[in-house]
Amino acid sequence: MARDLAIDLGTANTLVYMKGKGIVLNEPSVIALNRQTGEVLATGREAWQMIGRTPGYIVAVRPLRGGAITDFEITERMIRLLLQRVGVSRFTRPKVVICVPSAITEVERRAVTDAARRAGAQDAQLIEQPMAAAIGADLPIDEPVGNMVIDIGGGTSESAVISLGGIVALEAVRVGSFDIDAAIQSYVRREHGIAIGERTAEEVKLAIGSASPTEDESQAEVRGRDLMTGLPRTVVLTPEEVRFAIDDVVTSITSSVVRCLAKAPPELAQDFLVRGMYLVGGGGMLRGLAQRIEKETNTPVRMSNMPLEAVVMGAGHCIEHYDALKGMFMGARR
Amino acid sequence: MTWLFIIGVFAVAGAFYLYGRRKHRRESGLTNFQRHIDALSPERRRESFDRVRSQNRDDDQWGRR
Repeated sequence: MARDLAIDLGTANTLVYMKGKGIVLNEPSVIALNRQTGEVLATGREAWQMIGRTPGYIVAVRPLRGGAITDFEITERMIRLLLQRVGVSRFTRPKVVICVPSAITEVERRAVTDAARRAGAQDAQLIEQPMAAAIGADLPIDEPVGNMVIDIGGGTSESAVISLGGIVALEAVRVGSFDIDAAIQSYVRREHGIAIGERTAEEVKLAIGSASPTEDESQAEVRGRDLMTGLPRTVVLTPEEVRFAIDDVVTSITSSVVRCLAKAPPELAQDFLVRGMYLVGGGGMLRGLAQRIEKETNTPVRMSNMPLEAVVMGAGHCIEHYDALKGMFMGARR
Repeated sequence: MTWLFIIGVFAVAGAFYLYGRRKHRRESGLTNFQRHIDALSPERRRESFDRVRSQNRDDDQWGRR
């Protein structure tokens, strides 16, 4: 008998929670394929290490972009392999709860549930990421008070106001930490004339990236390919340059938080001033982001205890109490 | 006369049935909402989260070894 599963199918990472066991898988959402035969060569961390470093016949791809499935077939294969790795076979068909961005379309919803069913799930239900994040961040969403959660993922940023177990106001943008990496890549190309890869841009973001000035700032050496000569070259980037490079993306995220606050009923809005807003997701870990949101909204911002696992833990709680919480699933409310 | 009596009995039985169903629906709405809110209470969540936290502690210990 298979144990039921909760899956946080993120643009950056995929986490799987098994009922009664906890988190059993946490890997990058990457798959490496043989371009000629279509054969899967690697998934997860192994495939992630191949990004930008593969010979012509291998392609390492992220099948999800902006929280949406860009390649249905590859996503289905990735989900099937993930389920196999956690022990799901043709004969053990578990119930699966999958976290998806709240802004996905009907077609995308169907694509995710179909992919999970074809990959071996008996039943696939969807839950909005901010709702799962609020449960996972241990916010008192069972009470009639305003709880605001800001989930910044790889491809989407979502803000939601939650009270009495339901979403009251919601705002989502298809912008996330991958857009921050892309902004760094294009800045370095434009201003320094060198091309850097996706992973190097991510390393720069982790090393010196910030949304607002912080204490202990340092510079970073970046190695790439000179666009004029084609030779390897090193340039030095300052934190101010990186802040300037990513400012548009950060502004887009903070504006969506402001829009969500504006949608909240006044009775709940006053709760945020006391209780604060909670930041979850990998993108939320960007230095100075909490301070920047705090400054632009005049509302305290707190970091969740487990920002990377909050979403899957929330979905995991839903799978533990499936019958009581099935009203929360996306199809149930329509 | 008999027909009228039969129709009357059916009408009364139907009314009772509909009333009972409505009452049941109202009660099940309350029960479901209460179950939903109870399942989201901090005490119920602690069980799921403690499992992950203890798992993380175990992972850390293995990492340090």
